[in-house]
Amino acid sequence: MGAVIDSGEFGSRQRQTVLRLATLVIFSILFLRLYQLQLVSHTEFGKKSEENSVRTVIKDPVRGDIYDRTGRLIVDVGPSFAVTAAPASFDSATARELGELLQMDPVQITERVNKGRQYSRFSPVRIKRDVDFKTLSAVEEHLYLLRGISYEVESKRLYNAPIRASHLLGYCKEITEAQLARYGDTYRQGDLVGSSGLESSYETFLRGERGFEYIAVNSKGQQLGPLEGGQRDIASKEGFDLVLSLDAGLQACAESLMTQYKGALVAMDPNTGGILAMVSKPDFDPSVFSGVTASEDWTRLNTDDGKPLFNRATMSRYPPGSTFKMVVAAAALEEGLIDEHYRITCTGGFRFGRRLFRDLHVHGSVNVVEAIQKSCNVFFYQLVLKVGLDKLNEYGKKFGFGHATGVDIAEETSGLLPSEAYYDRVYGKDKWTLGNVVSLGVGQGEIGVSPLQMARYASSLANGGILLQPHAVDRIYNKRVNRYSVVDVHGVPLGLSPKTIGLIREGMRAAVELPGGTGSLARIPGIESAGKTGTAENPHGKDHAWYIGFAPFDNPKIAVAVLLENSGFGGAKAAPLARALMHRYLFGETLQPERAAIAAADSRH
Amino acid sequence: MNQYFKEYFDTKTFLICLGLVAMGLLSIYSATFDINNAANFHRQAVWAAIGFVGMLITAFLPARTIQRLAFGLYATVIVVLLIVLVVGSTIKGARSWFGVAGLGGQPSEFAKVATILAAAAYLARMEVSITRLKDLLITLAIFAGPMALILAQPDLGTAIVFFAVLLPVLYWAGATNFILIAILVPILVAFGALFGTAQFLIAAGIGAALLYYFRENRFAVAVAFGIALAVGLSVQIVYDRLPAYQQKRIATFLNPETDPLGAGYNVVQSKIAIGSGGLAGKGYLRGTQTQLNYIPEQWTDFIFCVPGEEFGFIGATLVLGLFAALVFHGINIATLSKNKFGSIGAIGVTAVLATHVAVNVGMSMGLMPVIGIPLPFLSYGGSALVATMVMAGLLMNFYANRKEH
Repeated sequence: MGAVIDSGEFGSRQRQTVLRLATLVIFSILFLRLYQLQLVSHTEFGKKSEENSVRTVIKDPVRGDIYDRTGRLIVDVGPSFAVTAAPASFDSATARELGELLQMDPVQITERVNKGRQYSRFSPVRIKRDVDFKTLSAVEEHLYLLRGISYEVESKRLYNAPIRASHLLGYCKEITEAQLARYGDTYRQGDLVGSSGLESSYETFLRGERGFEYIAVNSKGQQLGPLEGGQRDIASKEGFDLVLSLDAGLQACAESLMTQYKGALVAMDPNTGGILAMVSKPDFDPSVFSGVTASEDWTRLNTDDGKPLFNRATMSRYPPGSTFKMVVAAAALEEGLIDEHYRITCTGGFRFGRRLFRDLHVHGSVNVVEAIQKSCNVFFYQLVLKVGLDKLNEYGKKFGFGHATGVDIAEETSGLLPSEAYYDRVYGKDKWTLGNVVSLGVGQGEIGVSPLQMARYASSLANGGILLQPHAVDRIYNKRVNRYSVVDVHGVPLGLSPKTIGLIREGMRAAVELPGGTGSLARIPGIESAGKTGTAENPHGKDHAWYIGFAPFDNPKIAVAVLLENSGFGGAKAAPLARALMHRYLFGETLQPERAAIAAADSRH
Repeated sequence: MNQYFKEYFDTKTFLICLGLVAMGLLSIYSATFDINNAANFHRQAVWAAIGFVGMLITAFLPARTIQRLAFGLYATVIVVLLIVLVVGSTIKGARSWFGVAGLGGQPSEFAKVATILAAAAYLARMEVSITRLKDLLITLAIFAGPMALILAQPDLGTAIVFFAVLLPVLYWAGATNFILIAILVPILVAFGALFGTAQFLIAAGIGAALLYYFRENRFAVAVAFGIALAVGLSVQIVYDRLPAYQQKRIATFLNPETDPLGAGYNVVQSKIAIGSGGLAGKGYLRGTQTQLNYIPEQWTDFIFCVPGEEFGFIGATLVLGLFAALVFHGINIATLSKNKFGSIGAIGVTAVLATHVAVNVGMSMGLMPVIGIPLPFLSYGGSALVATMVMAGLLMNFYANRKEH
C-alpha cells in the first residue's frame, strides 16, 4: 500500500521490493563471509591468532659430561653467553650501538637479524656467542639504547683434566645447512653438534632433548608472562654422561711421553678391548673449539703441515714392518706347515728370482720362536712363500687387518691387506709375481695398518687368541633415571690352537726378556712382559718406528701399540716409550726413557 | 496509555537500538579495560546516556516540528562545516573535529541527519516533484553541499556514505530510472578508470549501453555520458590529490596480505580475530587478538572484531541480525508512512545505517577497502553515537506519525 503521492514512482510496490531485495543481498553476503571466516576457515585463523600471541622460547638441553674410568670428570659443561636480538624490535640505531659494544660490523649484525626475521619476527636471533663477561655487562648497561636486545645462556665445553685427548674426545661445531636439512626437527640454526671423535659418534646420547617455554606476547612484542601459568611448558632434558675406558692419568703420561714426536699411541685393555689411552701427535687443545672458534685458530689448525686435526691413531696407515711376523708365524703353525722344531739357517740375505732381500744381521740357525725374538727377516721371507698369499690374507683378516675395527670414534681406516684380487687390480693379471709377496712376510710393501688395529692385534696375542671390539666408552649414564647402561662388547675367538698362541707369545717374551731380543729396551723391572719391534720403511724419508707389547706376561693388564714417525728403528725409541707407559699403568709412576740406553741401542744397530 | 504505547511506540527500533548499544559498551570495555584507554568505556557510557535522552526527545517531538526545523538545522550544519574547515584541529589527518567548550564534536555526523531531514522536507513539499529537473537539481545540491565540504576535510569515507544515501533516497522519491543510471554510470566509469585504461573503456562502453537503454531523450543521454567521461578522466587527478594513506588503502584493498605489516595490517589482524572466533567465540574478555592489542584502534573502526572473536559466529550473527532487522523495519516504516516526509526520512535514515553496517563489517572481514566509518551504536565516538541514536529516534518518530498526512 502506498501513501498519497503525485509522482508515479514514489514508494511504489516495485521499488519497495527492490530495496528489500537489495538489503537481503547485502546482508546475505555479509553472513556468508562470516560463515566462511568463522566456520569454514576457523582452524586456519585460530592457528594464526595463536602464532600472533604466543612466543615459543626454546630451552636448549644441557650436554652430557664425560668421565674417565676412575670417575674423574674430564669434559664438563659450563655457561656461555650469547647476545640476541628480536627482529621485530630491531632497528638501525640498535645495529650501530650493538656493533660498537660487540666489536662487530653493524651490516653483519643486520644481515643476521634479517635472516632470522624470515623464520619468525619474535624469535631471538643469536648475534654473537660466547661473549666474555665484560662485554655482556657493557651490553646490559646500555640496554636502554638497544631495542629488542637480550642474552641467552648457552652451554660450552669445559676441559678439566690435564689431558688433551683431542682426537678421542672430538669437538662440537655449529650445525651446517646440510645437517639441518637432515635433522631439522630437533635442531635449529646455531645449535652445536658434535663433529668429530666421541662428541660426534655419541651425539644423540650427549645432546639431550630441548624444552619449550610458551610466553604470551602482545602486538608490541612485549612479554606478558608465561602462557597458562607455564602449564604447557616442556622442560628440557639433560644429555647422558659417558664413562670412558680411558685412564686420565695414563693419557696424561702418554701425551707427555709423545711430546716431541709425530705419531700415535694406543693403549688397550686386553681383556675387554677398552681404550686406556689414545694419543695422536701433533694434536691441539680441544678448548679451542669450545664456545666460538676464532677463524685464525681454525685456519692455523687446518693449514698446519703436521695435520694436527688428523687422528693418526685411527686414520693413518703404515706398513707394520716386523710386527707383522706373528701373523705369518700363526698362519704357518696353524696350517701345519711348520712346528716348533722347524729350523732354517739365516745367512743375512734371501735370494728370490733376480732380487736379493736383505736381513739386518746374520742370525744363523733359528726356529720360529727365535726368529720372532731376534726379528729374523730371512726366516719369514721364505715362510711367507710357504704360507701363500691367500692364507696370509685369511690370517691377516682374522687378526683384524684389512677391515675397520668398528671402534666408537668417528672415523677410522680399514687399512690395506693385499690379496690376489688386489694385485690383479693394481698391476694387472699376470703382471705381478711372488716377489711382491715376499716383502709381506716382514710387513713391508703394499700393506697398511693403523695403530688402533695394532693395539687390537697386540691384545689378541696377549689374551690368548680373542679378537676384541675396541671401544672408548665403557658405560653410559642416564641422569634422568639414574641408571648405567654398559656398552655391550663381544670378543671373537681367533680359533688358533693354544700351542700356536703359546709359541708366538713365547717368541714375543723372548724378544723383551732374553738376550738377543730386539725389544730389550721395553723390559719392565720387576715383571715379565712381551712385545715386538718393527720398522716401517718410508720411501719419502726416515723410517717409522713401531713397537707393540703387553704386560704382565701372565694375566696381561695392558697392551700397547706405538708408532713414531721418522724415528728409525722400533727398538730404539718406541720400545722404551711403551715401557714407560706400561710401567705407569701397572705401578703408578712413570719411568723416564733412559737416554743412555737409547744411545747404546742406536750404536748397536 | 497502553493503547498509545501499542499504536505509536516503536518498540522494535527502541529495543534493537538498546541491544546494540549494550553490545557496543561490552565490546569497548573488552577492548580497552586493561590498557591506557580504559576511560573510553566510561566516556562511551556517558555519551550513550546523552544519546538515549536525545533519542527519546526526537521520538516524541511533534511531527511538524521536525519538518519545520529541518532547513534551519541544515543551514547551521553547513556553517559549522565551513568553520571546521577553516579552524578545526586535525585528528588522523582530517579536519573534522571541532572543540567547543572543551567538548569535541564531529559535525559531519550530524550533517548526515540534517541533510536527510532537509532533503525529505524539500521533497515532501506539495509543489515539488523529483521528476522535474529543477527539483532534482536542488535535491542533488542539498546533498552535494555538505558532501563537498566533507570531502575537503578530507574525509572520503563520510563523503562516500552521503553518496550511498543519495541513491536510495532518489530511488524511493521516484526519480526515473534514467536519472539513477545517469548517476551510477559516472561511478562505474570512475571505478574502471582506477583499474586501468582498458577497464575504463570497457566501463564507458557498458555505461553508454545502459544510458541508451534507459534513455528518455538523446540529449540527456549525451549529457550524462559526457559527465561520465569527465568523471572518469578526472579520477586520476583526484587520486593523485588524495593523501598517501588513502591511496595506499585503495591499493592494498585488493590484497592486504601483500603488506601485512603496513596498510593491510588492520584487515589481516581483523580477519584473524573474527575467523579465530569460530562458532562460539573465545569467551568474553578472552579474545587473544583483542586482549593482546593486535588490532590498532580496535574500539573504533574495527569494533566488530570483538563480538566476532569473543562471541564467535553466534555473537556476530546476532549483531548482524539485529542490524538487518532494523533495516527491514526502516523500510517497512517508509512503506507504511502516509506522509512523504516521514517516508523519505525513514529511507534516508535506514540508508545511512545500512551503508555504515555494510561498509564497516565488510571492511572488518576484508570485503571492502578500509574506509574509516564507524559501526553504528557500537563504535567508540560520542558524536557518532549521539547522532545515530537521534536517527533511531527519528525512526521512532516516523513510525509514531505514520498515519499522519
